[in-house]
Amino acid sequence: MTAVIQAAGLTRMYGARRGILDLDIEVEEGEIFGFLGPNGSGKTTTIRTLLGFLRPTRGTATVFGLDPWTRAADVHGRLCYLGSDPAYLGELTAGQQLDYLASLRGLPAGAWRAVAERFDLDPSIAVRKLSRGNRQKVGVVATLMGHEPLLILDEPTTGLDPLMQHEFLTALGEVRSDGRTVFLSSHNLPEVERSCDRVAIIREGRLVEISTIEALLASHRRRVSLTLAAPAPVSSFEIPNVELIGGADGREVLLMVQGDVNPLLRRLASLDVRDLTITTPDVEEIFLRFYGAGTEEAAS
Amino acid sequence: MTGALLGLEARRSRTLTFWLAIVAIIYGALVAALYPTMKANAKLLEDYLNILPKGFLAAFGMMGGSLVDPGNFFATYIGIFLWPILAALGGILLASRPVAADLERGFLELPLSTRASRSRYLGLTIAVHAIAIGVLASATVGGFLVVGWLVGAGFDNGRLLLVVVPAAAFGLAIHGATSALSVATLSRGLAGGLVGGVLLGMYLLDIVARLQPDFEWVGAASAFRYFDVRTLINTGVLDVGGTLLFLAVALGGWAIAIWRFRTRDLVA
Repeated sequence: MTAVIQAAGLTRMYGARRGILDLDIEVEEGEIFGFLGPNGSGKTTTIRTLLGFLRPTRGTATVFGLDPWTRAADVHGRLCYLGSDPAYLGELTAGQQLDYLASLRGLPAGAWRAVAERFDLDPSIAVRKLSRGNRQKVGVVATLMGHEPLLILDEPTTGLDPLMQHEFLTALGEVRSDGRTVFLSSHNLPEVERSCDRVAIIREGRLVEISTIEALLASHRRRVSLTLAAPAPVSSFEIPNVELIGGADGREVLLMVQGDVNPLLRRLASLDVRDLTITTPDVEEIFLRFYGAGTEEAAS
Repeated sequence: MTGALLGLEARRSRTLTFWLAIVAIIYGALVAALYPTMKANAKLLEDYLNILPKGFLAAFGMMGGSLVDPGNFFATYIGIFLWPILAALGGILLASRPVAADLERGFLELPLSTRASRSRYLGLTIAVHAIAIGVLASATVGGFLVVGWLVGAGFDNGRLLLVVVPAAAFGLAIHGATSALSVATLSRGLAGGLVGGVLLGMYLLDIVARLQPDFEWVGAASAFRYFDVRTLINTGVLDVGGTLLFLAVALGGWAIAIWRFRTRDLVA
């Protein structure tokens, strides 16, 4: 696999204020890479640096092996960027706006028609008269009308109704099938879980996790609720990777398990268990833990 | 891509240019239509002006000869009154839009995330604006010239047409200075305010220099000293040095703007 985006020790400061710190990421060709983090965590700074709008304070970033700061036009010729709230020209119709963007990207006029039809966008309406969701559709159509090998998307589905969000994710799947790469910054966690191959989580400017969705789910703790026929001593639950959270003196026991559950299951076989529930945290829960907690706590 | 950038910029500039040109044409036409009446009542007008304070007359550019003299007439009503206002409005509003205003509103990311390089984007934008300022200068002279001809004012049309050159150069200098400041500050308000404030200061310097012989030297710091349409219309001699100075300011401003735009971070 070839790395389409590479960042090594990428740091961007705004004077004394932190933007991003020592960011190391690699986005492989043909994958959908989720980029997540709370507001102000540095997502937009990262994207702007990758686009060559900002010069790194330290470290390096390359896109297709090129420095986006010095070779911006060459890099931009191979990607399509959709910002989180693009400001289109209100006096143009959606179709005129799309023709303008198509022309800048070397696409023929009307290249957007099939995609506009797919997303039910009326191209004859002036952009200023469009609702937030329909303005976002203009961006989605602009993104999907070309065939650039890399899409950089910042909150692309904001404002779209669930049907259009679903359609957009389906389209992203098609983009991946074409071997193209997607860098997706999003707050829509189910969307990330459904569409992304790997995710990076950034918090306070630093990368705190980078993993596949499956590995992320597997690496986090499962919640195990037990109902026992009779109270069991605390020593019954002194098992590697198992933490007793509550209920050791009674019949209702709550445990947290990290990693392999087999040692716990073997121990439970010696107890009279009436009921057992193992809950795997969903991606949203994991992300919220990263978003809300300190780095060390989040990594636990 | 070049066509798309030029086309969109022309489209975005046309409304402002159109309405400023309409104002220029109507005002110029009305002023020219008044000229025969003023000429017929020259003595009365002169007696009237003589009772007004010199400072008041200077503030409106009415110095240096009879008001019915074509050069003085044009300079008073248009050359140092209407045109500086139109040139400032057009120059500042156009020059501060493509970088400062569009970055603030979030539009700039769209063209700059495509193959369009920063220098090409800004260079083409400036080219469109230069044409718009030329159109404005032509409209300002055109309305006056056509109606003057229709009412038999007797203006020298060749000299009037030549006024378009220094007038456009004056407007381009404002545009160039505003372009550089817009890119440097990334603030439309700050760039426009600075250029507008400096222009106003230069206008006041010019008046002081004309009223106070001891301070005549301060007039050299005023752009209005080098925008001498009065002499051009009366003698047919173009102030080449002044015109070149304006063009140098324009070119310098644009060069700084493009260089700075290429080398700076874009942070709204």
